[in-house]
Amino acid sequence: MIQKKICLLGAFAVGKTSLIKRFVESIFSDKYLTTIGVKINKKTLSVSGQDINLMIWDLEGEDDYTKINTSYLRGAAGYILVADGTRPETLNTALSIHTLVQDLLGNIPAVLAINKADIEDQWLISSESIDNIDKNLTVIKTSAKSGANVELLFSTLSHNMLPIEE
Amino acid sequence: MSATILENLYSELDIAVFATSENDLFTCITTPPSWLLHFYPTINKGSHLSQHELPDFLQHFVFDAEDHWQRKQKGQLKSGLWMEEGSAGSEYLLEATAILVDDDRLLLLNVIDQDHSNRQEKQLMRDNLLTQEKLELEVHRRTQQIREREEEIAIKLIAAAGKRDEETGAHIRRIGLYSAEMAKELSWPQLLIDDIKLAAPMHDIGKIGIPDNILQKPGRLTEAEFEIMKGHASIGGDMLAGSDIPMLNLASVIANGHHEKWDGTGYPNGLKAEEIPEAARIVAIVDVYDALVHKRVYKAAFPEAEALAIMDEMAINHLDPSLYRLFISIIDKIREIKDQNQDDEI
Repeated sequence: MIQKKICLLGAFAVGKTSLIKRFVESIFSDKYLTTIGVKINKKTLSVSGQDINLMIWDLEGEDDYTKINTSYLRGAAGYILVADGTRPETLNTALSIHTLVQDLLGNIPAVLAINKADIEDQWLISSESIDNIDKNLTVIKTSAKSGANVELLFSTLSHNMLPIEE
Repeated sequence: MSATILENLYSELDIAVFATSENDLFTCITTPPSWLLHFYPTINKGSHLSQHELPDFLQHFVFDAEDHWQRKQKGQLKSGLWMEEGSAGSEYLLEATAILVDDDRLLLLNVIDQDHSNRQEKQLMRDNLLTQEKLELEVHRRTQQIREREEEIAIKLIAAAGKRDEETGAHIRRIGLYSAEMAKELSWPQLLIDDIKLAAPMHDIGKIGIPDNILQKPGRLTEAEFEIMKGHASIGGDMLAGSDIPMLNLASVIANGHHEKWDGTGYPNGLKAEEIPEAARIVAIVDVYDALVHKRVYKAAFPEAEALAIMDEMAINHLDPSLYRLFISIIDKIREIKDQNQDDEI
């Protein structure tokens, strides 16, 4: 079985842990409990007929006082950037982190999740901002609360991490 | 220091110490602290763990630790914090430290924040940050709402003032939007961009002081009539001057200066080149454009190419050539504004 380490990265309180809990345990809670350090979860999924064992690293979110511990990123095969659609600054944070990780790890597969799609009518991230994102970065609107596109998020990244068959 | 004192010290500090050698086994060399038993219920002093029996995070850290030991690096290598779930479902915040003592490769594990006070503090800090963010967004939203209301009121009033000649609401709105687009391209601060959007439409407000027989004359003005008409620039400038509101001061500057010409032959003050305030130079350009591409009582609307050909000539002496080049560089956006804000009657 293939094993791949992936990291979830983004500002604090964007829903990284909620997305993981939805994906791994199919549960959701409205209560915000901040992540300290990192927590590792595991899930196996099947992509293109192959089983992939995902080691999902849920990293503490960035705020004004806390930046990513880059040692946690070593060995990652891919990563998910997460932004909160109702907080425009979190998109900037996600894109800064993307640049940082690319500088560190090179052009490994990444997907950007814009979370809280269940309240898209309250989003403050404009369609224009989303359209202006580098086309090389796949953007998926997710909702950890409703589950919308959460499977798609992880399966898309997993698919992108599979070696290309010649 | 005796072994007993060391043992007691480790116990007090609640640290688990593992020693490893080249065979990848980790031997517990201290009496296991109680928290470690939640992960390894049968572990004792002297027990061995293979690398794959370590928590996933530690397996990852050991890779860096090996490097640290092999290079015989001085000092400690810390893993950073990680959360691990014990057998009873409770969570522990842990940290590992790799250290080389003489030639002994040691891995120290300890629990951080047993009483959760650190975690609670961080939770509170982040809750407060979130609240602050929400408040800031709400302030921004309400400020934006007030701004939009002011803008609408201003546009309606200016349009009412311009009812006597051909200053339609759409024309007024377009002048503001064109000017804001130019200001954005010039990297003006957002506050000033918002101000010019509202100030630029007021450029002809001084026409209130011009008699109907001159303002509404369909034919060419006589020299004397033109002199009176020229007065609208300083009338507008005076009307809008002397306010504490920066936007109105900007409007005053624009009203006063939008008929000045680059070569100094304009009015009311014969200012030349960069003596003319930039905002006035911007409005001069966009006002000419809008007048040329729209119908007036004295002329039909020019096709854009023809309008720009006329403006090309004007950019030699009358319009700021550099700003005119900028205007041309964003002509697609200008055209979009024109098309999306077509003339209507109020």
